Amino acid sequence: MFEFFSFSNIFSFIDKTIRFVNSIFFIILIVGLSFALIFSPPDYLQGDSVRIMYVHVPSAWIGLASFTSISILSFLNFLFKIKNLSLITKSLAPIGLMFTCIAIVTGSLWGQPTWGTWWAWDARLTSMLVLMLFYIIFILSFKFIKTESSAIKFSSIIAIIGSINIPIIKYSVDWWSTLHQPASINIAGKTTIHSSMLVPLLLMLLVLLLYCALIFLMKYKTEIIRIKKKNIKRL
Amino acid sequence: MISNIITMNGYALYVWVSFGFTLFACTLLYYRTYKTLKKYEEDFALELKKLTAAKQAKVLKDSKIANQVLASYSKSI
Repeated sequence: MFEFFSFSNIFSFIDKTIRFVNSIFFIILIVGLSFALIFSPPDYLQGDSVRIMYVHVPSAWIGLASFTSISILSFLNFLFKIKNLSLITKSLAPIGLMFTCIAIVTGSLWGQPTWGTWWAWDARLTSMLVLMLFYIIFILSFKFIKTESSAIKFSSIIAIIGSINIPIIKYSVDWWSTLHQPASINIAGKTTIHSSMLVPLLLMLLVLLLYCALIFLMKYKTEIIRIKKKNIKRL
Repeated sequence: MISNIITMNGYALYVWVSFGFTLFACTLLYYRTYKTLKKYEEDFALELKKLTAAKQAKVLKDSKIANQVLASYSKSI
């Protein structure tokens, strides 16, 4: 069981997965973009500006999911000191940061035609900005703290503190009166979005998740090579 | 129909900039990640070459990863 999780097994698994994702990515991308930009209908109120949803919503989901994963893994790493977990969180952080930035920028671009403003200091938008700041501090801690163990400890603390922000983002639209609309898609509850829009949304989510997998695997591979290089230097 | 797709019925600026920005950010991150990976592979190969022949042979015999990194590096040059 533990043999399977050895770096050499993980390494060859990564190579195979990267090749597989590369082989299907562009087909799914073209299908997803065709649905998002051509086949899905315009909204009866927002018109074609609703198409921004197909990049904004999956980006926000990925930004949130990445930080949630980072927080959980950092907490586990804090308790059990498993080296592999810090490699995973380090590889996830740039992806989460980029998608949080995309969610904020595309949200702003969607806000102008819909709300009449690029930005408002309301609960959802501000908490997303705070999430972005947590990502930046998390990533910078590896850049500026020279001792690796201190960097891991500091970044773990940041991730654990930052996890308080996750439920705030999720429930900000319910707890406070905000410009941002409440969630239309609920895993446990009722989904109010029509299937003609839900299908393109899920397709674009799949495209972006495949992209995330690709970046994550390349980053993780880089981290493994970095460790192996250090080991060679010791010889 | 094509003009509708291009103009997005008056929302072209917002829609195309959103998709364009996403594409740009994704391409940039992919490019940077790929370049970093290749740089580390190269550094690893150079570090390995610095070793004596006996140590090189030992590393290549003991580590599957070293073989895979070298193979990947040789492919890319």
